[in-house]
Amino acid sequence: MSSELNATIASFCDRLKRRQITGSYHVALETLQLLKRFISAARWSHTNELIAQLRDLGSRLEKAHPTEFTCGNIIRRVLAFIRDELEEDLEMSKTPTPAEPMISSMFNLLQRPAVPEKRKSVVHSKTDLRQAVIQGIKDIIDEVTNIDDGIQQIAIDLIHDREILLTPTPDSKTVLKFLIKARQRNNRNFTVLVTEGFPNNTQAAHEFAKKLSQHDIETTVIPDTAVFALMSRVGKVILGAKAVFTNGGTVSSTAGVSSVCECAREFKTPVFAVAGLYKLSPLYPFNIEKLVEVGGSQRVLSTMDYEGAGSHNRLDTVNPVADYVPPENIDIYISNIGGFAPSFIYRVVWDNYKQEDVNLEN
Amino acid sequence: MAGKKEKDNTKSASKKGNEHLVGEERLQAVVLTDSFETRFMPLTAVKPRCLLPLANTPLIEYTLEFLAKAGVNEVYLVCASHADQINEYIEKSKWNLPWAPFKLQTIMSLESRSVGDAMRDIDNRGLITGDFILVSGDLVTNMQFDKALEFHRKKRASDKDHIVTMCLSEGSQFYRTRSHDPAAFILDKKTNRCLYYHQLPPASSRKKGAIDIDPELLEDVDDFVLRNDLIDCHVDICSALVPAIFQENFDYQFLRSDFVKGVLTSDLLKKSIYAYIMESYAARVESWQTYDAISQDFIARWCYPLVLNANFLEDQTYSYESRHVYKEKNVVLAQSCKIGKHTAIGSGTKIGEGTSVENSVIGRNCHIGDNVVIQNSYIWDDTTVLDSTIIEHSILASNVKIGRNVSLSDGCVIGFNVIIGDNMVIPQGCKISETPVMKSEVQFLDNESYDEDDSTISSDRATNFKLEPASDLLGETGVGYIYESDGSNGDEDASDETRINNTLAYRIDELYLSDDSISSSTGERKKKRTMSTTSVYTDMEGEDEEDEEDFEVEAMATVERAMENSHDLDTALLELNTLRMSMNVTYHEVRAATVFALLKRVYHFIATQTLGAKEAISKIFGKWGLLFNRQAFEKDEYIDLMNILLEKVLVIQFEKPEFVLFRALNCLYDQDVLDEEIIYTWWAQVSDDAKYDQVKTLTAKWIEWLQTAEEESSEEEESGEEESEDD
Repeated sequence: MSSELNATIASFCDRLKRRQITGSYHVALETLQLLKRFISAARWSHTNELIAQLRDLGSRLEKAHPTEFTCGNIIRRVLAFIRDELEEDLEMSKTPTPAEPMISSMFNLLQRPAVPEKRKSVVHSKTDLRQAVIQGIKDIIDEVTNIDDGIQQIAIDLIHDREILLTPTPDSKTVLKFLIKARQRNNRNFTVLVTEGFPNNTQAAHEFAKKLSQHDIETTVIPDTAVFALMSRVGKVILGAKAVFTNGGTVSSTAGVSSVCECAREFKTPVFAVAGLYKLSPLYPFNIEKLVEVGGSQRVLSTMDYEGAGSHNRLDTVNPVADYVPPENIDIYISNIGGFAPSFIYRVVWDNYKQEDVNLEN
Repeated sequence: MAGKKEKDNTKSASKKGNEHLVGEERLQAVVLTDSFETRFMPLTAVKPRCLLPLANTPLIEYTLEFLAKAGVNEVYLVCASHADQINEYIEKSKWNLPWAPFKLQTIMSLESRSVGDAMRDIDNRGLITGDFILVSGDLVTNMQFDKALEFHRKKRASDKDHIVTMCLSEGSQFYRTRSHDPAAFILDKKTNRCLYYHQLPPASSRKKGAIDIDPELLEDVDDFVLRNDLIDCHVDICSALVPAIFQENFDYQFLRSDFVKGVLTSDLLKKSIYAYIMESYAARVESWQTYDAISQDFIARWCYPLVLNANFLEDQTYSYESRHVYKEKNVVLAQSCKIGKHTAIGSGTKIGEGTSVENSVIGRNCHIGDNVVIQNSYIWDDTTVLDSTIIEHSILASNVKIGRNVSLSDGCVIGFNVIIGDNMVIPQGCKISETPVMKSEVQFLDNESYDEDDSTISSDRATNFKLEPASDLLGETGVGYIYESDGSNGDEDASDETRINNTLAYRIDELYLSDDSISSSTGERKKKRTMSTTSVYTDMEGEDEEDEEDFEVEAMATVERAMENSHDLDTALLELNTLRMSMNVTYHEVRAATVFALLKRVYHFIATQTLGAKEAISKIFGKWGLLFNRQAFEKDEYIDLMNILLEKVLVIQFEKPEFVLFRALNCLYDQDVLDEEIIYTWWAQVSDDAKYDQVKTLTAKWIEWLQTAEEESSEEEESGEEESEDD
């Protein structure tokens, strides 16, 4: 590996550690850019070597920020792409002209594969793989940047006139755009309740509410504690997902989402989760504690002054920044390729990832 | 030297052109790895403070991590004590790798003894080309530096004289990571310009804090705020001028009490300092107490995103569990051991059956036996603790071995490689080091209080104590010496202060309560300035008096310094003259101060019985009497001088004032400072004054003798002189 590339990777890792890159969208794009450079600079004699290198990179990035799943997802997507290419090549080399000759005549069955064709396929795997993978990465970049459009197309019809919506994830850009689009396209009147998201997202919630009201949407900011009281009037809960796991569970970007979903279940209010395809993760949430990052205590007790609370460490603060929502509390996932029930997520996952890449450690 | 300085000046001048081009993008940082203090003795005798681990990560990493996040391009590490160790560490660290976020360079400034020295050294090297961050190597913070920098640049654009932005963090005055040198800042309410800086007595001392403010400083200010709730963690954004100011004012030692105060009160410099007030976590590890507090805060994630499980060191593998427990890989825990809240455990550590750990940090490869109790303690790498030991609120450095059934009470500090035998009880606040640590080795400014005689006593005591291992405390198999902290042999007041600074123990909590009194006297946070004209007038008067007083103190200090360090006369005169002009006082004050200083010195000699009265006077006045040659020019002034002498002799209350006066006058006469004629004139004026009768007895005789001698000497000149010498 060239030192320049190594420097790029190391500084990317450091920036992840320092939380200088935040938000799945940015992380996804930066990871893709990094991968593009990585693929164009990497050297390999066999495709398996490239796969090993990529797995190595993936586990480094995952270690740098264990609760940011996007890096791993993207790398697994690219790995799956490479494995598909590889399989295709292998198939082509094994059964050069599969169906066509079989149908044409009995004689072809006994014929040996044509020699020049086989050579061609080998050449193809050596030179064009790089091109193909880079093209594949570019496609994913396109997909990620246009993700909101896809989601909007599907989601708009879900909102009815004079409906009351509640969103507990005010930091989700996807939810914001989705709501604004729904207002503009259909010209429907609906009210949005925004939970305040104390302490980590209060500011984001206020900005979110302001933006919505600027777009002529009735908006109400409610404290987190008022969710249960208001849930009976809410028509739909819309939340943005940070990562979606194989079982259909999700990690949201705000703490408090889980309790909102519990409330919604109590009142039989439908819960919609919006998530781009790149947020699907092939991981299974075995240990929920490990999936949720714990943030800074100073947000909870805003001044550093707590000396009066006791002689030594009697006062504790815990501030998780995310929440795990189990699949049974979510009714439907809306992604850019369509809406799925949580129980169906595993199918979508295995369409995009390969089983052997779930664990990236070599 | 002068040539070199000139060269540097031209260099910086030539660089100035570049500065405008690249100044925006390139950001430099100066990290002072040495604190020039001895608060972490005896551990800092072996390892520099910035390499001591806080939560199993060397302290310097926190500072460098902050700088990396701040987007600094070049970092200069100024090393003084243990520079080789720091250098070695940096060479091996990730900061030396090609993809490090900044270029890091260590600067060996071995002879520096204070922040001022280090700054002058940096100026001599001409490294600084633009704005730079000045931080110490023991900073733990999660502040958003870009906002502070933006503030700095904005202020810079509006105020050309702006040279320093101090980043201060808001916290209550009782907060435990609050610095040990609490200070009051007077800020302009609108612009946050710092108008005045005043160091307060430490929160726990018995002294009351008071602030004197020169009303002139507040002249153009509408609203000002007086705050002592700010945690000053010494993060400063400085302009390139700052090292030069240190160079010009060669007596500046401390960053705050000398530099900031000096710049703010100076009429000549006309520079301004702003304060950026933030709410982020920021603290310096400057004593055992703050070490304890910051460790706990760090573990409790007050400094997020700077947390332990971010694994900033390449080889760290911490993961987070609820109740703030951090564990690395390969930790072996017995089934029945209890890991309580706020705990971090390094890899390779084994913890035995029935052991409980709470609020503690344990390093790597430690072996903790069965049924051990560890509470509120910090155990560094490779330490062994055998069964049934109780460790409470202590620090155990690397490679320590503790026997069975030992009890370490509140506030113990066990140095590197110390061995403690079985069944021992270590008392509260005990500090133990492997080898004897001599305090005389360390001559930093913070133990200035040592006088010559004082230090000889202490080193005597030190040798008594330290040459024999503390076997009665550590057991037969024990290895280690007791380290006596500075406070134990100082006078009452000093011991109080240093004890506060140096203990880890909880008993300081009680002493903290005395902060109440200080806060009530200075706690008024906001004052609206509503001065009527009359009050201004009276204030001005008061200030005049104060000025004189200030001058007297300053001038006396100058003379005393000159005598102590036996400067030559010219230097002393130059300094006095500068002082006189800057404070705008007359020669009368200069004379008064000089006389007073000389007499005090004489008194000191006599009182300590180093010299007899006669010798002392002839020594001091013989040498320093010549000062008056350049402080008095006219006849009247000489008479004034003698009047002062007369008054001051009484003020100081010598045992035999008449003798002192007589010898002093005689001395000055011998030096040809005083003419006979002047003496006679003076005598004619004062001889009738009954107030000084007692003092004048000997002088009267002397003058009588002088008169007769002169009569004689008009006949025989030489004999007169001989006789006067005899007398």
